[in-house]
Amino acid sequence: MTEPTLVWDDVRITYAGGNVAVDGVSLEVERGGTVGLAGESGCGKSTLAMSVLRLLPRSARIEGRIVLQGEEVAGMTWGRLRAVRWTEAAIVFQGAMHSLNPVRQVRHQVAEALALHSTKEFPDSAARLRRVDELLALVDLTPAKGRAYPHELSGGQRQRVMIAMALACDPELIIADEPTTALDVVVQAQVLDVLNGLVRDRELTLVMISHDLAVLAAVCDRIVVMQDGRIVEQGKAQQILAAPTHEHTKELAAAFPIIGDPSSRLVVGRDPGSLSDHSSLSVSTSSTGGVVLEVRDLTVDFRSRGQHVRAVDHVDLSCGAGEIVALVGQSGSGKTTLARTILGLQKPTSGQVLHEGKPLPHRRAALKAYRRQVQYVLQDPTASLNPKHTVYEAVAEGIRIHGLDDERERVIRALTRAELTPPERFFAAIPQELSGGQRQRVVIAGALALDPTYLVADEPVASLDASVRGEILALLLQLRRDLGLGALVITHDLGLAWNIADRVVVMHRGQIVENGPVEQVLLDPQHDYTKSLLAVVPSKLGLR
Amino acid sequence: MTVIETVPADSEDTRGSSLPRYLALKAGGALISLALVVVLGFFMFRIIPGDPAINMTRGRQVSPGEVERLRQEMGLDQPLLVQFWRFVRDLFTGDLGTSYVYRRPVTELIGDYIGPTLLLTGTAAIISVVLGLWLGQKAAWRRGSWFDKIHTGVALVFWSVPTFWLGLLLLLVFGGGLGWFPTGGMSTAASTDTGIAHVLDVAHHLVLPVVTMVAVIYAQYLMVMRASVLEEMSADYLTTARAKGLREDLVRTRHAVPNALLPTVTLIFLTLGLLIAGTVTVETVFSWPGLGYLTYKGLSAPDFPLVQGTFVVFSAAVIVMNFIADLLYRVLDPRLKSS
Repeated sequence: MTEPTLVWDDVRITYAGGNVAVDGVSLEVERGGTVGLAGESGCGKSTLAMSVLRLLPRSARIEGRIVLQGEEVAGMTWGRLRAVRWTEAAIVFQGAMHSLNPVRQVRHQVAEALALHSTKEFPDSAARLRRVDELLALVDLTPAKGRAYPHELSGGQRQRVMIAMALACDPELIIADEPTTALDVVVQAQVLDVLNGLVRDRELTLVMISHDLAVLAAVCDRIVVMQDGRIVEQGKAQQILAAPTHEHTKELAAAFPIIGDPSSRLVVGRDPGSLSDHSSLSVSTSSTGGVVLEVRDLTVDFRSRGQHVRAVDHVDLSCGAGEIVALVGQSGSGKTTLARTILGLQKPTSGQVLHEGKPLPHRRAALKAYRRQVQYVLQDPTASLNPKHTVYEAVAEGIRIHGLDDERERVIRALTRAELTPPERFFAAIPQELSGGQRQRVVIAGALALDPTYLVADEPVASLDASVRGEILALLLQLRRDLGLGALVITHDLGLAWNIADRVVVMHRGQIVENGPVEQVLLDPQHDYTKSLLAVVPSKLGLR
Repeated sequence: MTVIETVPADSEDTRGSSLPRYLALKAGGALISLALVVVLGFFMFRIIPGDPAINMTRGRQVSPGEVERLRQEMGLDQPLLVQFWRFVRDLFTGDLGTSYVYRRPVTELIGDYIGPTLLLTGTAAIISVVLGLWLGQKAAWRRGSWFDKIHTGVALVFWSVPTFWLGLLLLLVFGGGLGWFPTGGMSTAASTDTGIAHVLDVAHHLVLPVVTMVAVIYAQYLMVMRASVLEEMSADYLTTARAKGLREDLVRTRHAVPNALLPTVTLIFLTLGLLIAGTVTVETVFSWPGLGYLTYKGLSAPDFPLVQGTFVVFSAAVIVMNFIADLLYRVLDPRLKSS
């Protein structure tokens, strides 16, 4: 039997302050094997991966053995370690973020690895740059893209540069750390395709990290699920996806619902005894008579680099009271611009936005009153909350701006509705002290404090962990039931639309290409674009 | 699989304009600032107490008629607005008036005195920038070490010291007491040295004023560079560089420092302008025959045309440096260049 490429043997990693990130993990990755590490943020999966090349901060203490190609990592000298880095194991970092140096052309960053490790094969910089062109070709990028700076590339292109970089020195093992997070579904499918092809053609050993089981299943044979630094479940990818046994795996799987599966449709009050909830829900949806928001023949143009870009192109849309509408599309499809225009944050080039039949006011005071009615929930709660403001201040700010009385009462009510109970306990907390889910609840509470009639939510759960995702979506449904509050939810995630929406609106290149009840649009798509979006949904990818 | 072409991400945030437009905008702004400074300078100096005509004739027997004639000669008998009008009109022809004290055209005086100032500030600026940036990045990289603590501590102490006080102290100890360095001027009086000997003589005179200036200003470069490198130190691309197998010092010099320099370069140019204007104290303490010294002389008269002239030069230096800082930032950061 050949020696496994990578072995973690009872590894325990502790950060300064006694925070145990990895707690007794044993795992073997055989030569040519593809293993997916799944889990939520903070479960220790990235720490485990970084430990292979000793890339953890100095404060981290590692116990147990990590063996790479038969050699124990802890025993390597710095020189040996530097030689091993990238030649035996390379890491594909999350390239969509900041893993590339912003002020150097990407080809030089790829060539840098060659200059360090492969000076024999590629003695001068011209030879190295020729090799870089070949590497870029492997990931379907033209040589011209190599001359670009990272900001000039799209997220998917940057990710492919990261993959090309990892391949530069022909490593045995590739570790891919969330390689498709923050990419939109279509680009994600392209990147996964590239990875899949490379693993197959070059017989690479791959360890891939993701919070998304379906993404892992699309590339890996075996999936290992981690929680709180321990392995809680492992097995064949299909088996984990289709029949998870551990509670946590089920939670992770639920975050990526199978479209068409009625059990993935979230309903308020899941316990069987609350039948009345179901009936009240159906009553409230059927009683939605009035149209709250209406968009008529709306067009928004931008001028960028001397040319006009039409972000929103003659769009008509209406949202009823208490109705949850999902606006789906890729990034760049104009969905965020549409939302901003609806909120009066962006001036339309032509067309109208109507609120309860009246056109959107232009005067400052009237616009302020309108904004109280229609509230905005942004994607990343960490970025949208002022880190220096306490929860109380964050929620009370809107109340103060609108000069409402009973500030404290309103804050308490809003926090309670957002299920931050008891509210007093959260008053003095600053965002840093809250979990991601709690932060998003604070943002929602800030919106609720003004008793709005409608919410516009831009990717409300995209930056949240799987288990929290369900809670926030349930909260939106519950607010609809209790307050009759409708929402326009902007998302790239068709699964989310299936989870909660009544109606789905598909946007492509600034135009609405399909609009109808969720079952109709997602189960029987008419437009080619909707069909292609459905084809790249991760849960489908995993089942190919 | 189905491939849908990817549309570039929302282009809402491309507020950048083309380079010529940007240049025109910034140059226009600079010109307006300069014009405002000229107006402000003119009226500001009129508030200085003292009558130039009386001060200039102090210690001499003069009749009131003579003082009056002197006033007329200097144009001080005219209403303020007329004086201002003349000043602006002459300014456009490149004439800054005639100095009351030196009885020579101000432009000519400035031409004579600007060389030493540029020599002094140029030397001090280069030394303090190099020293500050090098120490700053080193201190950041070894944050919390003795190197870091000692260098930030020392720099901050010098930063807090008044320039004239430090200058006088150095003058007393190394000039007067130990006699290692000359106590003033730019070259030994009555020396007829030329060539290398002259250069060495000037360099000898240059040491104390330059040390004074460097000591007081290098701290800001150190602190900004340190903060800037610290900001970059947790950046993901440094992990990428380490994972590639780069040595720590290469990670620092190739990846961290170039990124940290971006905000720092702007600051350097912003402060260079101020540096030239800040020579007044150093030059006065060391009787360095530069613009600062000239300004000091002009202020004690008060010699209106002279101080107005040097004020315009100082302000222009600050404004021009700001302008260069704006341009440089755009050139250095590829993210700004392309938008």
